[in-house]
Amino acid sequence: MNQKLVNILLVEDDEVDVMNVKRAFSKNNIMNPLFVAGNGVEALEMLENQIIPLPKIIILDINMPKMNGIEFLKIMRENEKLKNISVFVMTTSNEDSDKINAYNLNVAGYILKPLSFEKFLTSVATLKNFWQLCEL
Amino acid sequence: MKEEEDKCKQELVALKKEFEEFVYIVSHDIKSPMRAISNITTWIEEDLGAVENQEVIANLSLLKNRVNRMENMMNGLLELSRVDRFELEFYEVNISKMIANSIALFDTNSTIEFTLNSTLVNENCVTLGAKLQKVLMNLLDNAVRFHDKENRKVGVEVLETETDYEIKVSDNGPGIPEQAVSKIFSIFYTVNSKDVVDTTGAGLAISCKIMKLVGGKIKYTAGINNGSIFTLIWPKIIILKN
Amino acid sequence: MGNASILLIDNRKSLIQNIRKSFSEIDVKYTLFSAANEKEAWSMLDGSEKIIPIPKIILIDINSTNNKGLQFLNAIRNHTDLKSILVFVITDSKTDKNKVAALNLNIAGYIPMSFESQTLNSFMTVLNDYWNIIEFSSQK
Repeated sequence: MNQKLVNILLVEDDEVDVMNVKRAFSKNNIMNPLFVAGNGVEALEMLENQIIPLPKIIILDINMPKMNGIEFLKIMRENEKLKNISVFVMTTSNEDSDKINAYNLNVAGYILKPLSFEKFLTSVATLKNFWQLCEL
Repeated sequence: MKEEEDKCKQELVALKKEFEEFVYIVSHDIKSPMRAISNITTWIEEDLGAVENQEVIANLSLLKNRVNRMENMMNGLLELSRVDRFELEFYEVNISKMIANSIALFDTNSTIEFTLNSTLVNENCVTLGAKLQKVLMNLLDNAVRFHDKENRKVGVEVLETETDYEIKVSDNGPGIPEQAVSKIFSIFYTVNSKDVVDTTGAGLAISCKIMKLVGGKIKYTAGINNGSIFTLIWPKIIILKN
Repeated sequence: MGNASILLIDNRKSLIQNIRKSFSEIDVKYTLFSAANEKEAWSMLDGSEKIIPIPKIILIDINSTNNKGLQFLNAIRNHTDLKSILVFVITDSKTDKNKVAALNLNIAGYIPMSFESQTLNSFMTVLNDYWNIIEFSSQK
């Protein structure tokens, strides 16, 4: 399938979680270019001003300062250029309200960050297989 | 007098809300640094590679075990704080079927013998299904987890009165020492050290809170030949406050 | 996640059979419903045959039914109770004329695959693994 390596944007404020994703990516041989934004405001700025090449995939945390993930999603879905990007929520929030809001804004998946790195590795491996199945 | 009473009620409502918010924020925001500790420990293990000093490896593994326990406790606390706010949908449940299905989830281990005795005229009941299921699962989990015998037996018995379903979950395990009986419904209380049986000690506290919510009862009695018997009085008609 | 379900929409009986077989072979925990066309599907989502709770996932080959598939997806996205459903487009058609339109409707994945029973399990396993790592709301 089209394994041109699509760009991935990670929107995450926690430094350790960013390291976590990078480490899990490298362990799973995910070579896609990964860009990082620390919150929704930063992510929007990067996307709208084309500071980074347009990503096909966004990995989105929910609880973040300045602009949280749900607020970011709302704005993104209203922007013609950005609205079709695939969004995968990755969060600690197990709140039903967050899940409902996220799926109403048509995220492709809502993933809970597990406590252990081993479990996270497995989730990322599964994500990789799924991404390889999909045409973006 | 009336004024004072109203003021008291208001304060109570405000306090309750504050408490719930507190528990929620604490358990939520503490999860991130907890996950960081767990993750970084794994990275250190990985990056260390082969280590000669076995104590280092053992300590790293202890560290992860304890963070894991902490997460379970946080989840327990979170769940306890949510009992009367979430999953409050009434729907029709076939009581016997629900119990049988719950047992089936535990019945993957052939060393445990399950029995179900149900004599119900009204098997179907519109009730808080998710809550009943939760209590059942907690009791079954305890019966299975704290077992010390070779031939383990867990029995469930269901009766009905005009107003209630009476569900008894009994086992032939070690039972609960008399001096501990008054404490088993407190959050995080465990009869043995958590190092002996890895458990959180939240299940009965959550179950107890659910039974209060539905206006039912849960009680413990010692079995005839050791073992525990937990009896649930689950009302057929549930009226939620607010 | 006790009674969560998936709705499969396709007019090819053999395809539905193959997918059903694959679901049971790889032990998918979701109940599988199927509809032969969009009209039938709609009645299962918001009509006389309504599935309760509403399916969490829809599988559809939008290339097999003219433009009806896209119209159907559009209608789902504009329906308050249905818009949150995860939609996976699975297709064995070489044409991808509907791909961009479907991606614009925020489908969860556009997946070209073969529906032959020999290869189906490997596709479905990846999908099922994915369904198992994601959370759904407990709401009905």
